[in-house]
Order: sequence, then structure tokens, then C-alpha cells
Amino acid sequence: MSKHVVNPDLCTACTVCVAHCPVAEVVREYRGPKLSGPASERLRLLSPQDDASLDFCSNCKNCDISCPSGVPISTLNMKARAKMWEGKPEPQGRKMMAHGEQMGKLLARFPGAASIVNLGMGLGKSLGMMDMVGISSKAPLPSYASTTFYKQFKSFKQKSFDKKVVFYPGCTINFNQPEIGMDVVKVLQANGYEVLVDEEFVCCGSPLVVGGYLGEANENARKNTSLMNKWRAKGYPVITACTSCGLMLKQEYQELFHHEGMDKNAENIYDIMEFLSMLDDEDKLNTNFGQVNDTMLYHAPCHLRAQGMGLPALDVLSLIPGYRIENAAAGCCGMSGSYGMQANKREISLKVGEKLFNRIRQAGVKSVVSDCGTCRLQIGDGAKVQAIHPVQIVARAYAAK
Amino acid sequence: MEKVTAIVIGGGATGVGILRDLAMRGVDAMLIEQRDLAHGTSSRYHGLLHSGARYAVKDAEAGRECIEENTILRRIGRHCVEATEGFFVRTVEDPEDFEAKWVEGCKNCGISAVQISVEEALRLEPNLSPKIKAVYRVPDAAIDGFRMVWQNVASARRYGAKVRTYTEVVRINSTNGQVTGVTVRDYFTGQEYQIACDFVISAVGSWAGELAAKAGLQVGVQPDKGTLIAFNHRIASRVINRLHQASDGDIFVPHGSITILGTTSMAADKADDTEPSVEEVKKLLNIGRVLFENIDDYRILRAFTGTRPLYSADPNAKGRGASRGFVTLDHAHDGLKGFISIVGGKFTTYRLMAEKAVDMVCEYLGNKTPCRTAEEDIVEDPSEALMGRAKKFFPVHGASLAASRLGAEGLSRVVDKLEKQPSSRQLVCECENVTLAEVEEAAADPTSFTLSDVRRKTRMGMGTCQGAFCTYRTVGTMVANDLTNGQDSKELLKDFIEARWKGIRHVLWGNAIRETELTRGIYEGTLNVNGAMKK
Repeated sequence: MSKHVVNPDLCTACTVCVAHCPVAEVVREYRGPKLSGPASERLRLLSPQDDASLDFCSNCKNCDISCPSGVPISTLNMKARAKMWEGKPEPQGRKMMAHGEQMGKLLARFPGAASIVNLGMGLGKSLGMMDMVGISSKAPLPSYASTTFYKQFKSFKQKSFDKKVVFYPGCTINFNQPEIGMDVVKVLQANGYEVLVDEEFVCCGSPLVVGGYLGEANENARKNTSLMNKWRAKGYPVITACTSCGLMLKQEYQELFHHEGMDKNAENIYDIMEFLSMLDDEDKLNTNFGQVNDTMLYHAPCHLRAQGMGLPALDVLSLIPGYRIENAAAGCCGMSGSYGMQANKREISLKVGEKLFNRIRQAGVKSVVSDCGTCRLQIGDGAKVQAIHPVQIVARAYAAK
Repeated sequence: MEKVTAIVIGGGATGVGILRDLAMRGVDAMLIEQRDLAHGTSSRYHGLLHSGARYAVKDAEAGRECIEENTILRRIGRHCVEATEGFFVRTVEDPEDFEAKWVEGCKNCGISAVQISVEEALRLEPNLSPKIKAVYRVPDAAIDGFRMVWQNVASARRYGAKVRTYTEVVRINSTNGQVTGVTVRDYFTGQEYQIACDFVISAVGSWAGELAAKAGLQVGVQPDKGTLIAFNHRIASRVINRLHQASDGDIFVPHGSITILGTTSMAADKADDTEPSVEEVKKLLNIGRVLFENIDDYRILRAFTGTRPLYSADPNAKGRGASRGFVTLDHAHDGLKGFISIVGGKFTTYRLMAEKAVDMVCEYLGNKTPCRTAEEDIVEDPSEALMGRAKKFFPVHGASLAASRLGAEGLSRVVDKLEKQPSSRQLVCECENVTLAEVEEAAADPTSFTLSDVRRKTRMGMGTCQGAFCTYRTVGTMVANDLTNGQDSKELLKDFIEARWKGIRHVLWGNAIRETELTRGIYEGTLNVNGAMKK
């Protein structure tokens, strides 16, 4: 049987997933992953009915992580939810959040448009217009960068190396935080890799899946898979720096779709920190770090933990002289992609994140490190600290030398 | 001494059908059942409401009876029948020449059999083997044996009938060749007592020979053992039959949340020989694999066995060759007036069988009230308003499941409780969406003595976890509400888990063994029900 197979029959009803569900812990109305996932899956075969409970699932994957039987519970929820929403009116906010890539591409075509939109979103929030379409006016929204990653990359002079990797920036890095993508490039260069990009790549599809647009997500999967097949044939690994993109490309594609090569591509895709940690294991990591005198807390994104790769950021960052980092180990931040940005989920999202926010406050740090863009937004807003990607620290350490 | 006009013996489909019919015609009647309602064959079969197509070639009369009763039950029994329709599928292994005979047979019986393309069939039922050769649609349906029995009793009670479960017949009493009553024994206390009556109607299926012997008579019923497998989910949304001469393991029925595959057929020594075997399970899987190639990937919940009552005037006729038709025997001809046995037949024709038996009683009584069991719904539809109230508390699928289990009256009581007592909204059985309020409703019924009785009324414990979680929750509820009838709570736990184990131990591989280990951990470990761990 293949690794990522969706088989609700495997569920023993052991309820471990309910004990690990951060949403069920704070919302009594949510009946928890066991019931909305595998238990209801049997009943959905009997009669498809609307299940309001499905809307509570944040797709954070803690159920999948905890399941001792290997049931991809959250994926069952996402599939059932998409089916439930099929043919019904689409709330504007859900549509917008699922299609962030379209907005990003549109803005990228017009100089200065990003800052106008950022201003507009701020204005919209203060006027309550976002709430009207279902997006929380209290949630931190990603702001758009004036120059996309792809544009910045083009004007960056790289050293040429024999060893090459393909960097898949994903929407967040390309449109919102290109500086992280540039640090990825610099860090890879410092390790003797030439970085290629492929502008043919499209959004991984993760926001489309949670928005119920499985058909569109499938199209994206088809496109990305065929491009990944091409790069794999050349022997170039693919690097991601967004844990939700990584999870989608490596794992959720196989749970949701059927395209030739997905399983083999999964073995050729690495998160940037996973890649660096692997180099270190092989004694190939450039450890010529300068001093970084700082103390930070690390938050492991759920979508990173779902990939079962350990905590490579901690492994790598602990090599930097003067730098101290500790694992917060405080569970889900509550944001889970766009979940915490929804008007009717903001409160739930903040309740989920409370443990983490308290942990950060108690630690008294000014900066928190996390591999996921929306985790960073949530941490910045919930704990009022700076939140950065681990590769930014690595880049700083190389620069300090 | 208690006195009723007619005593019906046997709480299966036929017995409850007779009770309802008697009560609706104004005859004072009581039903006696040795264990719980639907304890025997009526819950140990595949849950198929035959269209009659299975009998179209070999037994046209049975085929015609089936389609008539099927049409009636789909109307009056909406709350226990799911009109799934059925496929007859000719596979690579089925002889081609049977097909034309079968099509002709269906036509003769008045059974609609419409051929569809293999592509269309695979679109509708994607799990079917792509190697299938020909497919016909027929009006088969699924019927829930427990609910059907339970709902007939609810209807009979509304007309004044009485029901006594866990009451065994010791003797049929008579004076001068006329029935005067029965001597019965309380299963729990062992106490014997008499009930007077003018008529005894034996509707005990496979037990008919044993019961007749208690009146010193002989009835030629051969119990025939059939084993079935229950799968964890729906493999198909329709009944799937093999298009060949009726044989073992050739029917899959979507039954509520599960699928049932059956059955085997072999002569049994006794009516209560209901122990399945691993060999039978393997045999069924081997046959089933022709229709569903991936059958080994589907989780088996349990195997179970029932005995069919095959009647033959010749007591030596055995197996599938014996008639599946039914006979109403007036034992006045054997020298005992007032004793009637109804034997043979099948679940699908239970109502017709009941009608014939009650006609016979009414003839004696001079009761001219016509039979109305084919016209009146067994239970009423719950109103939209009631369903709206129910949906506030049940998980999404729970409201309609509960409505079909409880009928309008029962649902109304349960919803009242859900509204007034928030604690009763808790799900006791998550696999089958059973709330605490519903468990309490079932446990409080006078026919509920054990946890298995509650299970049969609610489906609690019959889903994926097979009682792992709902058992201790329900026992807790029964203890808290004083519904244990003085039974030890530890014994209640053990009895229920043992009853589940009976069906699991013959399918102990794959997911079932993982589930069993979890259950064992909960009951033997955490709850220490066997006392293995000393303080």
C-alpha cells in the first residue's frame, strides 16, 4: 500500500486525535476530528448531508500527526468540506483567501500597486469592510512587497556552481516576504549551490484546498508535478521555505490527487532548513558562521511537524556561535493558513494560540523564529514580538563573518 | 390468571407482523419471545428486501410474492426500508445462458429489470470489478431487521397489544383437544407461570419443530445455517447480486453505515446454532472477490450467523432445494384446535405471512375486520418541525438516523429530553451517532434488560469500534439511572463485550485485531474487568 493513502477503515476510534486537536480544545461546538473525519466518512457514504462541524477544522494536521493508524483525518475533512460547499454560493472572503496568488500576480504587474492595496486593506479593516466579506478586521493580514521575489532574484548576481537546486518560493515569499527568499538564495550560495527558479510554477494549492476549490488545486498539482518531474529528471533538488507549501507538495498531493511522479518528487523536495541540516549530517554544511549574540524562542509550525522531519531549524541554528534558541513546544499558534484570518474564526484562533503567546511572554524574548509565514503573522500579532524565518538567522550568521 | 385471546410466540419479523395485524383487527393479543425482539433469524440475515429477481427463474411464485410485498413495504415501512435499488451483475464466472432465462423470469413475475451498460454501472458503483460483463437494475431494497421488528411492535402497542420478552414457553396447555393457554418461564428469575388464551400462533421460524414438540406435534422445519460478513462501510450504495443461479456469498447489501455480504448455506442441527467459522468467512471473501476485487482492503467488522427455517412436508429435504415459500398449518387437523404454526417463508414476505395466519384466527373468531397492514404506515413520519428541533442537537447524520430508529413518537420524547437536559445530548456511540437521550429511551423500555437489548434498539456498539467506547459509557448511564435491574455493572460490561467478541473472533486479522487490542486494553487493562490485576 502506498504511503499516503486515504483509508478511513484504518481508524480504530481510539480518540487520540481528539485529545490533540487544538480547535476541539477551545470550541465545544466542534465535535472533533474523529467524528468529523473517519466516523462521519462512513455516514457520508450513507447520505451526504451538510455538516456545520466541518467548518471548524483548521486543517492544522495535528490529528494526522497524532493518529497511530495513519489516517489523514484533516484531508478527509477538507474533501468532505469541498463536497459540501460544491454548487453553493461562495463567500467573497473565502474566495479571496483561496486565490491569494491571483491578487499577488495582479499587483506585481503595476508598480506601486502593492502599497496602495496594503493601504486599502488597512483602510478596509478599519472601516469594517473586511468583516463584511468574512475576513477579520482584527487579524493581521500579509502585506504585499513592492518588488516580488522573482524580480529581486533576476537582479541578483549569483556565483555559478556545478551543484544546482531549484527554489520554489511559493506565494508568501514571492509576493509578501521576498527578503526571506533572497536569504535562501544567499545561504545556498554560501554552501556552494547555484539557485535556479522556475516561474512556470504556480501556487501549491494549499489555500485552494482549504477554500474548497479542489478542482483548481488539482490543476495546480498537475502543473507543478509535471515541472517537478522535469527538474527531478535533471537531478536538481527542489527547495521550499514555506512549510505549508512543502507539506502540500510532498504529502497532500498524494492524499488528494493522482498525477504521475508525485511520490518520487516528494523525495526530491526539501525544506530549506531540512536541506541545510542534511548537509550538516553529511559534514558538508558551511559552518563558517559569525557571532550572532541573541536569544530567541523557536515555534515549530504544525505543517512542519506533519512532515515528520524533526526540527531541522533547531539543529542548524544551534551551530551558530553566541546564538541561543529554545523550542517553545507550545502547540499550534492558531492561525493555520488563513483560518485565523476569517472573521468568525479569529477568536478561536487567538484562543488556540494563547499557550504559545504566554510561553513567549514568559520567555521574555524579543524575537521568535518560525518556518511558516502565517505562524509568523499570528505570533507577531498575538505576542507582540518580531517573528522571523530561521534562514534569516543563518544568513545573518554568514554575513557576520 | 392472565387471559388474552391470542398468544403469538416468536419476536421476529413474522411474530411482530402477526401481533400488529391481530391488534389492528381488534383481537386481544400478546407476543412472547424467549430472548429479545429480533434476537433470532430476523437480525441474522443480510437485510435485503428482495425484489423477487433472485427467485424469478426457480420459484416464480416466490418472485411474485416478493415484488408485491417489496412494493408495499417500501411504502408503509419507509423508516426501516432504504430504497437503494439493486444490481444483478453477470461476472466472468457466471454462465451466459442464464441471463436470458432470468430476464424472461423477471418479466413473468412483473419485476422491473432494466439493463444498463457496464460503463454506467461502474460510474454508479466504482468499487465493482471492471471485469463484469452485464448489469441490470432491479427494485431491491435494504431493510433493517431490528428497526422493522421494533417499529411493528410500536404500532401493535398503539393498538393495545402486549409484548413480553425473555419469556420462554415451557408447555402449550390444552383440554379436550382445545388450546387453553401456555406455561411460560421468566428467563431471568426462572419462575414459571401460566397465561390463558384461545389461540397460540407459532411464529418461531427455525424453532417451529421444537415448539410443536411442546404440544406433542411434529412440524417439518429444517434449520439451515447461513453466515454473513459485516464490513465497516458502504462498499456500494446499491444491493449487488450475482446474475446466476442463487448460490452462496452472492449478495452484498448496503445496510445503514455498513455492507453485509452473505450468505453460506448448510444444514444445522439446532435452530440456535449461530456460531460462524473462519472457513465460512474465507469462503465468502473468495466468492465476493469476483464482484469486488479490492474486498481484502475493506475492513471487516464481524461475522454472524442465523438459521433459516426451511419448511418441507418431507422432513428430510435439506438446503437451498427446500421450498422458500411459506405454509400456514392449522393443527386442528392434527387434533389440537387453536394452535397454528406458520413456517418457511422469508423476511420480505413477513407481512403477507402474518395476514394469512391472522385470517385463519379471525375466521374462527368470526371477526370480519379486513386486514389493513398493507395500507397503514408502520410508524408515522416525524413532522418537519420535530426534525428541525432534532437537528439542533444531533450531529449532522444523527437526526435522520435517530428518526428512522425511533419513529415520530420515540423521537419526540428523545428531542424533549435533549431540549430540557443538556447533559443528555452527549454522544454515547460516536460511530453510529447515538445520543445519551436515545440510550436512556431504549434502556427505559420494558423490553430492555441487557445492554445488548439497548444495542439492538439503537445500533449503539455496532459501528467501527464494536463497543470499545460506548460500552462503558452506556453501563455508566444505566447505573446512574437505575436501569440495571439489579444486575452487576461489571457483568453488564463483560456480557456486552463478550457478545461483540462472538462475531469478531472469526475475523481476527487486519484492522479487527488492532481494534480488539484497543478494546482489550480498555476493559482488561484500565477497567480490569477480569480482575487479572490485583491491588
